[in-house]
Amino acid sequence: MTRFLNITACTLANACGTGWTAVQRALRDGQSGLRPNDFEPARDLETWIGRVDGLESAALPPHLEAWDCRNNRLALLCLEQDGFVTAVQRARGRYGPERIAVYLGTSTSGILSTEQAWCTSSPLTQEDYQHRHSMYATTAFVRTYLGVTGPATTISTACSSSAKVFGAAKRAIDAGWCDAAIVGGVDSLALSTLYGFRALEVLSREPCRPFSADRNGISIGEAAGFALLEYDQPGEARVLGVGESSDAFHMSSPHPTGAGAAHAMTAALAAAGLTPEDIDYINLHGTGTLANDAAEDAAIMTVFGTATRGSSTKGYTGHALGAAGITEALLCVMALNEQWIPGTLNCRRVDSRLGSRIELESGPARVTHALTNSFGFGGTNCSVALGRGS
Amino acid sequence: MNALAVVGVGIRAPGLPGWVEAAAILAGVASYEWKELPRLMPTTLPMTERRRANDTSRLAIAAAADAMAGLPAESVAEIASVFASADGDGVVLADLLAALAKPERMVSPTLFHNSVFNAPAGYWAIGANAGSASTAVCAGKASFAAGLLEAWAHVTSTGRPVCLVAVDIPFPSALRGFATGTNAFACALLLGPGDDEQRSPYGRITGLRVTLAEASASSLPSALADRFEGNAAAAALPLLERLSRRASGTIALPYLDNKCLAMETAP
Repeated sequence: MTRFLNITACTLANACGTGWTAVQRALRDGQSGLRPNDFEPARDLETWIGRVDGLESAALPPHLEAWDCRNNRLALLCLEQDGFVTAVQRARGRYGPERIAVYLGTSTSGILSTEQAWCTSSPLTQEDYQHRHSMYATTAFVRTYLGVTGPATTISTACSSSAKVFGAAKRAIDAGWCDAAIVGGVDSLALSTLYGFRALEVLSREPCRPFSADRNGISIGEAAGFALLEYDQPGEARVLGVGESSDAFHMSSPHPTGAGAAHAMTAALAAAGLTPEDIDYINLHGTGTLANDAAEDAAIMTVFGTATRGSSTKGYTGHALGAAGITEALLCVMALNEQWIPGTLNCRRVDSRLGSRIELESGPARVTHALTNSFGFGGTNCSVALGRGS
Repeated sequence: MNALAVVGVGIRAPGLPGWVEAAAILAGVASYEWKELPRLMPTTLPMTERRRANDTSRLAIAAAADAMAGLPAESVAEIASVFASADGDGVVLADLLAALAKPERMVSPTLFHNSVFNAPAGYWAIGANAGSASTAVCAGKASFAAGLLEAWAHVTSTGRPVCLVAVDIPFPSALRGFATGTNAFACALLLGPGDDEQRSPYGRITGLRVTLAEASASSLPSALADRFEGNAAAAALPLLERLSRRASGTIALPYLDNKCLAMETAP
C-alpha cells in the first residue's frame, strides 16, 4: 500500500496576515493583502505590493543577529506562529535532531541586504553574505533556529522553488537520509525582483487580476510558509503526489500550449494514484500576466477540461515568487480542512478566450483532493496533489 | 538500492577541457597545466539563447554534454537533472547590482532572467529539448554533496538516470569576498541505477551515507588543489579522481556542519 506523508504542522505569513487565523480571516472576508507600493527602497515604482507589516522594525534574537536580513526576519516571524516550533520540538524528541531535514525554496534569499550595501558603497563581508544573502542563508538560519541537524538544501528554481521542496523531502525520507522534514519557502521584497519584473513589462500598476479579460500583470508579494512532513503521524493533510517537468522552451515565457505544465499536473496525479476527476479544487499559479494565465488555462484544458474548479489566490497575497508554492499548498490545506474554496479576487469577468472553470467567488465546496500549480523562469513546472488528513 | 552506476562523467575548468583529458590528469598519467578557459559556445541552443546564456550556464551545459556524449538526443531529452551551485552566477549578480544602483534602475530583461539560480537548468533544458524534471540546489560549501544526495534519491525513487551538474565561478572583483574560488569549475555525473553492471563504464558509487566526520573530508588531488581550493563545485574532485582510477575505497566529501558525505567507489 502506498504511504503518504502527512503535514503534521504548518504555518504561514504573507500580505494577508501572520499565522493561520489572520490569513484565514482575510480570505474569508475577501480582503486583499495588496496595497499601493510603500516599500521604502523602491518608492518610485508605481505598482501594488503584498508587503508583510513590521519587517522593517523586526529584530532577531541577539544570538542570531549575524543572520539579520529581511528574508530571515520574515522566516522567523512565520516560524513563531501556529505552534510550529513546539511541533518541531516534539519531532526532535521522536526522531532526534539529526534525523530531521530542512528543504526550503527561495528565489532571491536575502539579496536586499546586498542591494542596499552596494548602494551605500560599504559591501557586505563574506560572513554577512553567507548569513544573509547566499541562496543557502535562510535554510541555514531556519535549521539553526529550530535546532535540527539533518540534511538541508535550498531549492531555488524561481517561482516553483517551494513547491518542489515537497518532492525533494519525500525522496530524502524514502531514501533514508532522514525520518521527517521541514519544508517551506521564504521570499521577501527586493529591488531586483521589483525592477526586474518591471523590465519584463509584466508588473501591473494596479492590484493583479488573474484570468481577468483586462489583466495586465503581476503584483509582487512577500511570504513565508513552513510544513512539517512525517509518515505515520496524524496530520492536517496528506501530500499525495508531486509532479515536476521543464518547458524546454524559453527562459521567461511559458510554452503557449502549456505542454510542460500539463506534464507536471499529469505526473502529480500519477504519483498520487488519482485521475483528473478526483481533483476537487486547483489552486492555480494564476499570476495575472496575459501569457502565463493563457498557457496555464491551456494546460488545465488538456488535463482537466472544463469541469474542475480552480482559482488564483494571487489577488490576496500577491505573487510570492519562491514562496508561492508553499503559500498555495497551504491554502489547499485550508480548502481541505474548511471545505471551502477561495475565489479569484479582483477578477470580475474571466477572459472569454479562456476555457477552464475559474471560480470568481469564494464558497463552501466538497474538497477531498486538491492540486496546486507553481511555474517559473527557466521553464520549471511543479504540481503538488494534496488530500485530507488522516 | 545501495549503489549507483556512474554512466558518464563530464568536466570543464581551466586546464581540464573534458573528461578524457581530466581523467588522465587525475589518474596521474598526464600532468596538469593551467590554461585559460575559452568562452564556451553552447551550440545546442538556438542562436538567441546562445548569445544570451550566462557564464555558469555555458560551463554547466559543456560539462553535462561531456557526461552525456555519445547518447542519442532522444535519450538525453528524457534524463532528469540536478544542478548544484554554492553561489550561482556572480557576474550576473554584479551587473544586476550595478544596474540597480543607478538612479533609473533599468534592468535588462535578459539580465533579470539570467539572474535566477536555475538559469543553467533552464538553458540546459532548452538546448537538450529536455522536458524532464530538473532542479537547482544550494547548500553553501556542501552544495556538491547536497546535489549528490538529491540525484541519488531521484535515481532510487524513479529507477531512471539523473545527470548531476555542479558549477561555481569566481566572482568579479567588487564581490570577490562572496565566493572564494579563483578558478571556474563545472562537472557532471550521469548516474543510473547501480544494479546494471553493463551500464556503469566508470564504476559505481555505493553505500552513500551522511556521517559525523570522524575522518576529515578527502583532500583535493594535489596537482589541482592550489587552483581549485575554495570552489565549492570542485569539492567533487576527490570523487572524480577515484572514478578516473577505477579505484575501490572510501572517500568523504564535505557536508554540512562538521559532517561528511561518505561513500565507497567500486570498479
